Amino acid sequence: MTAIELGLLAVFAPAAAALLLVLLYPIRHRGQPAAMVTIGASVIALAAAVKLLVDQTPVTRLVVPWIPERGRAMAEIGLQLDAVSMIMLAVVCAVALCVQIFSVAYMHDEPPKAFGRYFALHALFLFSMNVLVIAPNLLQAFAGWELVGLTSYLLIGFYFAKPSAAQAAVKAFWMTKLADMGFLFGLLILYVSTGSFEWTATPTPYIATWVTALLFLAVVGKSAQFPLHIWLPDAMEGPTPVSALLHAATMVAAGVFLVVRADPLFAQAPTTRELMLWVGAGTALFAACLALVQNDIKRVLAFSTCSQLGYMVAALGAGSAFAGFFHLGTHAFFKALLFLCAGSVIHAVHSNELSDMGGLRKKLPVTTFAFVVGALSLAGVPGFAGFFSKDLVLGTLEGKGGWLPWAMLMACAFLTAFYMGRVVIKAFFGEPSPKAQAAHEGGLAMTAPLVVLAVPSLLAGLLGGRLAAQLNVTGYALHVGLTPVTASGLALIGLVAAYAVFSRPGGRAPLAATFEELDRASYVDRFWAGAYRFGLLGVSGVLGWFDRYVVDGLINLSGYGTIAAGAAVRRLQTGRVRDYALAVAAGAAAGVIFVVLR
Amino acid sequence: MTLERTLILASVVFCIGLYGLLSRKQAVAMLLSVELMANAGNIVFAAFAHFKGGPSSQLFVLFALAVTVAEVAVGLALVMLLYRRHGDTIVDLASEAKE
Repeated sequence: MTAIELGLLAVFAPAAAALLLVLLYPIRHRGQPAAMVTIGASVIALAAAVKLLVDQTPVTRLVVPWIPERGRAMAEIGLQLDAVSMIMLAVVCAVALCVQIFSVAYMHDEPPKAFGRYFALHALFLFSMNVLVIAPNLLQAFAGWELVGLTSYLLIGFYFAKPSAAQAAVKAFWMTKLADMGFLFGLLILYVSTGSFEWTATPTPYIATWVTALLFLAVVGKSAQFPLHIWLPDAMEGPTPVSALLHAATMVAAGVFLVVRADPLFAQAPTTRELMLWVGAGTALFAACLALVQNDIKRVLAFSTCSQLGYMVAALGAGSAFAGFFHLGTHAFFKALLFLCAGSVIHAVHSNELSDMGGLRKKLPVTTFAFVVGALSLAGVPGFAGFFSKDLVLGTLEGKGGWLPWAMLMACAFLTAFYMGRVVIKAFFGEPSPKAQAAHEGGLAMTAPLVVLAVPSLLAGLLGGRLAAQLNVTGYALHVGLTPVTASGLALIGLVAAYAVFSRPGGRAPLAATFEELDRASYVDRFWAGAYRFGLLGVSGVLGWFDRYVVDGLINLSGYGTIAAGAAVRRLQTGRVRDYALAVAAGAAAGVIFVVLR
Repeated sequence: MTLERTLILASVVFCIGLYGLLSRKQAVAMLLSVELMANAGNIVFAAFAHFKGGPSSQLFVLFALAVTVAEVAVGLALVMLLYRRHGDTIVDLASEAKE
């Protein structure tokens, strides 16, 4: 098969699965067959993506015209296979497959209809994500972007009968839609000024700044950066495997992916990059502080995701798409692993609360092993995948923005190790809580994806050199210097400190009270709630008044005019036969007179 | 008698019919007036046949008479209906469509 066919297969296998499950509802309603269809499609997509990578496919592009406008195509649709899209395709398909297999065990208590719906949505998600990944231009990327937004909404609200889940879904939808306006306006400005949607469009520097700033707004929303991050912790209302796939590994990384893709565009806008640097670093530190005081294991991981996405955004802001993309790849594996482990733990103890866990090391040996691998990778302990990519991110930040972002992310590296140490110690070590007594591992479908994902979480960092070669980045080498030594030192200190603080029962982090207060007060949430209530509803009220009294008034006026005109003409219709006869006679006479006088 | 005088006669008959149509309320009277107007036309046909010659005009008279008879049949049916519905044959009673 040619590269094009493989690429199309990777996109349309999940699409076919989704369509099949939507149309043939008997399959969907029976549950298990739906899972088989989706997983089969994912296997095909993954095989195609891996084949593309193994073949070392050169850059391939297939586009067909789309949206005709004045005799030419306004945009194109198709696929672009290059290093970035092929690697991303493989990562997305691999994580999706692991998550789907895990879901079969995790969701087995669901009624068959819900089970089928879940897998239909998973197939739809994989299709949407792949559409985004292979997009040859910004317009198709926007289509994929909105599709993943939709599937995210549907999957967060999977337990829609639960009010909190429905609210979380709506909140996520609102926040990301608000941000997506940036994408749309950026696209419009780009098209008006350059007439193209290409990744490599070259508008004037002034326009480039605006376009990238607007695109960055969309990235802030999708990748949960401050101040639009508030939807991500709430999105944990969805099933845990969904959190692993969408809200940790792939969908939220779409924002980072977009910037990597549009790197030529962003390279023309140093101002936007400066902004990204600060937003990324700020989010990383802020979210890490909040992760420290969460008692829900999924919320810890959610804030940790915000924080790690902050790393990626900061790296992109520092001008290194390679570092951001590398961290995206390793993060996808170890964060999906951590979430699936959390799912396994929640499945075992039937609670999200860290206080209901404890001592799970003996009950769940495989999960413990996998979680520790993921946590060490996330903490950036030397040798693990996360170390390599985080080191690269920090390395690119050296000296940028007056060293302050670098220092913030260094502090964040310490905090990351500290809060992951806290989770590991509280959940897996110490005395088992009453709920943890009866815990046991789920079946093979649950443990196998954990082991499979643990491998790249451990080793993916070694692929950095190859990735650099694929992306034509020179000068990537492991070295002993200020950044790696400081980062790994801080990670180890963080772990030791976590052990020292949290191994005692009732151990609390220093400043925990402050952070808890910050978390409880949730100023950002309140700000957006206020913006919604006073801003959006206020504007809507004014527009509603205008519509009711001005627009409707004009329409009613035209209605009254018609009725009045009708009433005036109505007098002619008397209903008396002689009047009509007279009218006919008069008309005939007039006709005769006209003919005679002419 | 000349053609012109005959045509004037036809016009007078037509106008009498028209006047009757416009001034009467009774359906039967109006029907009679319509008959006058139709026959004014027949007079014109007959006059041209007589003064200008040619059998086609006379044929037309016969044809028009047949049509008139049919028309009267329909008209009388309407009058019957009007009488059954309103108990009288004043046409102004049939003005429901106005409402």
